[in-house]
Amino acid sequence: MHAITYLRNMASRKKTLLKVIILGDSSVGKTSLMNQYVNRKFTNQYKATIGADFLTKELTVDDRTVTMQIWDTAGQERFQSLGVAFYRGADCCVLVFDVTAPNTFKSLDSWRDEFLIQASPREPENFPFVLLGNKVDLEPRAISSKRAQQWCQSKNNIPYFETSAKEGLNVEQAFMAIAKNALAQQNSTVDLYNEFPDQIKLTNTQKPSGGSGCCQ
Amino acid sequence: MDQLPTEFDVIIVGTGIVESVVSAAASRVGKRVLHIDRSDYYGGQWASFSLESISKLHEEQIERKNIINSSHIEHSGISEFVELGNKLFDIKNIECTWHVQSKTDTEQSKESTEMNDSDLIQNLVPNEEQHTQETVTWTKEALLKESRKFNIDLVPKLQYARGDFVELLISSNIARYSEFRSVSRVLTWLNEHLEVVPCSRSDVFSNNKVSVIEKRMLMKLLTSLEDVEKDLSGCKDKTYHNYLKEKKLTPNLIHYVLYAISMSDNNTLCEQGIKQTRRFLGSLGRFGKTPFLFSMYGSGEMPQAFCRLSAVFGGIYALGQPMKGLTISENKFKCLLVNDQKLTAEHLVLNLEHAPKQFVDLKKLEYISRCVLITDRSVMSSEKEHLTLLLYPPENDKNSVIMIELGTLTGTCPKDLYLVHMTTRQKTNPKEDFLHIINNIFNINHKDTESEKPKVLWVCYFSLPDFLSSDVKQNVPDNVFLGTGPDIDSDYDFSVKQAKEIFSKMYPEEEFLPRAPDPEEIVIEAEDEEIEDKDMADKQTDQKDEATDGEVKQKAETKDTETKQKAKTQDTETLENVEKKQVDH
Repeated sequence: MHAITYLRNMASRKKTLLKVIILGDSSVGKTSLMNQYVNRKFTNQYKATIGADFLTKELTVDDRTVTMQIWDTAGQERFQSLGVAFYRGADCCVLVFDVTAPNTFKSLDSWRDEFLIQASPREPENFPFVLLGNKVDLEPRAISSKRAQQWCQSKNNIPYFETSAKEGLNVEQAFMAIAKNALAQQNSTVDLYNEFPDQIKLTNTQKPSGGSGCCQ
Repeated sequence: MDQLPTEFDVIIVGTGIVESVVSAAASRVGKRVLHIDRSDYYGGQWASFSLESISKLHEEQIERKNIINSSHIEHSGISEFVELGNKLFDIKNIECTWHVQSKTDTEQSKESTEMNDSDLIQNLVPNEEQHTQETVTWTKEALLKESRKFNIDLVPKLQYARGDFVELLISSNIARYSEFRSVSRVLTWLNEHLEVVPCSRSDVFSNNKVSVIEKRMLMKLLTSLEDVEKDLSGCKDKTYHNYLKEKKLTPNLIHYVLYAISMSDNNTLCEQGIKQTRRFLGSLGRFGKTPFLFSMYGSGEMPQAFCRLSAVFGGIYALGQPMKGLTISENKFKCLLVNDQKLTAEHLVLNLEHAPKQFVDLKKLEYISRCVLITDRSVMSSEKEHLTLLLYPPENDKNSVIMIELGTLTGTCPKDLYLVHMTTRQKTNPKEDFLHIINNIFNINHKDTESEKPKVLWVCYFSLPDFLSSDVKQNVPDNVFLGTGPDIDSDYDFSVKQAKEIFSKMYPEEEFLPRAPDPEEIVIEAEDEEIEDKDMADKQTDQKDEATDGEVKQKAETKDTETKQKAKTQDTETLENVEKKQVDH
């Protein structure tokens, strides 16, 4: 009985989980972008991501159902204190800057470097990044599309989207591209942990048989 | 860079496991928390390091202490200034040695790349035979190239599947930030050989080293010990060893139960031994074949998981902060001096390592001997990669040793290599404490090229203070609490207990780490465009004032009934052996 349930679970779980992390300076709109995409909601009130953890969304990419788990920095980026644990197992890294704040654009290099050092992906040169220039609804604009695109080209052609989390502009499209890139990454790299996928997530479950396996 | 906010409910210095648990618990109930560390990494003495950075551990420690000594600060007014940090709990006897050549140049003279004594590399020139067997010849250069694939724990921990720590991870929902692997076999050193310890019922019956009669004896004993109601009066004033002898067990069975299953030694008292046996038995059959779990990417992930929860609930994180000291007035902590800022809080939690020396009254200090090896194969070869726990019994004048062998699937070392952690109560010094094991199980000098024993490519010894066996009295102001460092126990139960105590002293009315809502349970309310956008950046600095207790709690509110229902349905499910990212082919 037990084994049957388990096998069935395995079969039905033949879907993909993508871990996406969002990086960028404080207040560029990382949490807002996530919320707009997953909950279609926007709040102007800046709360430095209290309660923001990760959001999950199921979507279909090329006829495949994938679950995208989007991880927020939880504010730990503010004083450069994102620990290495945050970067583990990322399939795609989304870099965000604020098109009205030049400093947030200047930081992109260091965020990208930080990611590559901390996550140390197997093929750093091919790891998928996506760049989002957020707050295009605001004036005055400090970083032109051209400038952002040039930066992307210099980094092995990172896809670039101009978004407004507030108005929901381009958010859907951007995350679709993020999912596609993450998926392509997963398919192209032979992931050791996929071959031996028996790592354990602790859940609130116990074996129904109960007791120890030893002496009963 | 932003200035730090200056007012908090609690400031926590140090990111070891105790401080991290306190931080998560305080943020979780809506306290304004600043969590700060002098180092630019998480974990302090609980951290995991890359190969390169652990090799620099010694230098870093010296550097850090020099900073402490060089800071001179004037007294100001009525309050007393106290410098942070002490040298009492430093890591000692650090000695890392390479046992491979620097580069793949066979012409290169054999050299040890680090200062060391006599037991240096011997003959490492690969012979023809090895080449035909496709043996990889590792070099220092090649290993350092993989430096970041190593996550080398200072304090490797195994969790009992039904232990307090695992229950806490689950009940608090912090489990979502971590992944584990189950220890897949338990070994021991018995009659000059490595033997598999029969853990579960099926192990006992499939074990061909144990006779049928022994099997019955063992099952009978374990069944009787499992009975919690059982009267332990026959156990008084007796060692566990004697108790087992009286049960007329064979020497081999006594070995399995005493040294492996209960992780006891010859002096362990009977009651304690039984308690530890039950702990082992009680954790069987939950998450894998043995009772133990190991955190993916190393034990250094654990403090970070708690810090993540703290951050999610508004805790402010600042690593790499130069801290000058703190001021005390009327036996109360007043403010912490960080950079040029004065930070105030009602409570201060300090890791003992960071504590001013006048806060610490050291009665007795015991040490843990540690040894870390990088090897080229497992101690017991097998088709699949194992995560091995090896319990080495006490021998002559040596204490018993806990060894954990990790392969690449744990995310702590590169492919084709193994990382071996050894831990014991220090007797003389780490090098001597482990010498017999290294000689028995490993091939350290590479003298014997035919040897099947794992070749040691790199070895590192060090000593850590053991706060479980030490006697440290605290001499602190009323609103200051000290968090302890590493301990010899295999899991985090001691640390969690410390953290709980600190938390309940600060907030006696508050619940300790209630379940955090799942992200889907947090309702984000959309708002109209009332606030000027340009205000947003300004609000950042005082976001903490906005986030009052009430607000945080409201955010964290769970839909109670829904949650309970959910928990109920989950009860009938089996353990999720999540096939993370399984790709549909």
